[in-house]
Amino acid sequence: MARMSYRDAIRETTAGELRRDESVYLIGEDVGRWGNLFGASAGLLEEFGPARICDSPISEAAMTGCAIGSALYGMRPIAEIMYIDFITIAMDQMINHGVKYHQLSNGQVRVPVVFRTQGGVGMRNSSQHSQSLENWFVNVPGLIVAMPSTPADLCGLLRSAVRSDNPVLLIEHKSLYFTRGEVPEDDYTIPFGVADIKRAGEDVTIIATSWMVLQALAAARSLADEGISCEVIDPRTLWPLDKQALIDSVKRTKNCVVVTEAPAEGGWSGEAASVVHEQCFAELRKPVRRVCGMRTGIPYGTDLEKAVVPDAGWICDAVRELLA
Amino acid sequence: MSDNEQLMEHYQQLLVLRHFDEFCYDLKMKDLIMNGFHPYSGQEAVAVGVCSLLRGDDVVFSTHRPQGHSIAKGSNTRAVFCEMLGRRGGVSQGIGGPMQWIDKPHNFFCGSIVGSGLPIAAGVALAFKRQGLDSIAVCFFGDGASNTGAFHEGMNLAAIWDLPVLYICENNQYGEAMPVQEFVPVSRISQRASAYGLNGISVDGMDVEAVLNATTDALEQLRAGNGPVFIEMVTYRFRGHYGGDPEHTYRSREEIAVWRNRDPLLLARTRLLARGFSEETLDELEGSVRAEIEEDMEWALEQPFPTVEQATDHVMIPLGQD
Repeated sequence: MARMSYRDAIRETTAGELRRDESVYLIGEDVGRWGNLFGASAGLLEEFGPARICDSPISEAAMTGCAIGSALYGMRPIAEIMYIDFITIAMDQMINHGVKYHQLSNGQVRVPVVFRTQGGVGMRNSSQHSQSLENWFVNVPGLIVAMPSTPADLCGLLRSAVRSDNPVLLIEHKSLYFTRGEVPEDDYTIPFGVADIKRAGEDVTIIATSWMVLQALAAARSLADEGISCEVIDPRTLWPLDKQALIDSVKRTKNCVVVTEAPAEGGWSGEAASVVHEQCFAELRKPVRRVCGMRTGIPYGTDLEKAVVPDAGWICDAVRELLA
Repeated sequence: MSDNEQLMEHYQQLLVLRHFDEFCYDLKMKDLIMNGFHPYSGQEAVAVGVCSLLRGDDVVFSTHRPQGHSIAKGSNTRAVFCEMLGRRGGVSQGIGGPMQWIDKPHNFFCGSIVGSGLPIAAGVALAFKRQGLDSIAVCFFGDGASNTGAFHEGMNLAAIWDLPVLYICENNQYGEAMPVQEFVPVSRISQRASAYGLNGISVDGMDVEAVLNATTDALEQLRAGNGPVFIEMVTYRFRGHYGGDPEHTYRSREEIAVWRNRDPLLLARTRLLARGFSEETLDELEGSVRAEIEEDMEWALEQPFPTVEQATDHVMIPLGQD
């Protein structure tokens, strides 16, 4: 085990994959000279050179299309979209093309591309640099959507993404880059569609994603002082979704809260709640509670951006109300 | 192969594309082609002139009007008929339809989002360059595509990285129903290439020989690794934007007649006659091409539709096998 930051986990895993397979390359805005905004590819340009650590112009459609085209002919690109907010420019390339090619070719063509990006609040960057847009992508047949919350999960899921012949969207979180955790040192992968119980508990199941997993864990610690035992489950991939893990947990705890930073309406939180309602209706004491970001553009500034997305306090309140 | 034999071969290809398209038009009018058919009649010299010079390992990206490019690149006419008709045996097993299919053995891709092919073609070219291959990517698109973001982003990327992409703009004078003069502020779309340091040229896209000559020069530059090439092929679609569109709301019969006088098949035929081929020989060739295409169509019409199970096949590679 090594203790490392989420940011370093990205760098180490990327470097490992670049060493392991010559067809892997990284393409994105300022992934080379800058080594990514957060340092997640620092030093890689020096080791691997500009053909494999490819600084792209600020052209999300071009870089994404380029990654897709190269993936059709033997390369395994990791395309980094600097902020998920910029992915709007790339969506036609991803969704109308990259994700469709396998089916349109009757299975003859594979598109082994990883789209890496980061979302969420934490940098006081306001409404076009702080969104949680994962919900849009969960609705796209053929696309895997991963949202690791810990350095160890990041390593395993990023390895799986690079090695998969399916297109994968891996969404990091800007508030996670400098969090730290234990990471096994072997070359492990984490399969898509396998949830992880981040904390075992008996009274309520809290299903949370990405940075919200940390908020849920903080809530669980504080609720433990009040004698409430919370189980925190991280699905790790929004699609495929490990429905069974959610069902098994809720059947035991009989209470469920779903936490996402994205707004609730039309979102994955509704999907998770629906799975629980459909499969655990008899066991549930009360309907599932959702704790989600407010339906607003993310406002500017330290205080306001935190005020519109869930934190441990919101989750504690929801759990207390649910169990009351 | 002698010049005459070559011209004859190109004429035959032009005939294949024309008759294929005209049969498709009839199928659309009968609602056997269900939707999404965009006629290629009038533009055949472009597909034939460019694709006949390509190698099997070169990759073509095409548009919502892909049938000519696909057949010229080698796709089986029966398989393309089947795709048009949504039948099993289609290039994409009848799941893709008239605007989007992939023929991997012939390295052919197309799609119905205008302008989207340019970045992807750049990516294919990047793969070839990284792998030290001299294969190239060809991207066909229309005049309308030259106003999209992907057009500019993609061409810029290919230009800054010297990628072997042949950009072929088929200016058929209309973006759907809008005349090109109303949506492009320059007189030649090839002028737009200069913004990316490319020497774009405009070529008579009705004349297969002119297309062949320009493509020959372009391929030399591309195989030598000198970066992308941009050619505007000035052409005209004889039929509407889609099969059965209200074309007389946006263009006159007189205008169509003027362009029909420059029919690429007519130009090639006139040239063959001048070289001593007889009317009878050429009529006979056309008759046999038409009969063969008709036979392919009849075959395709006998093919079954895909099953509902097939509709969800290959959405992705099953987990664990990916």
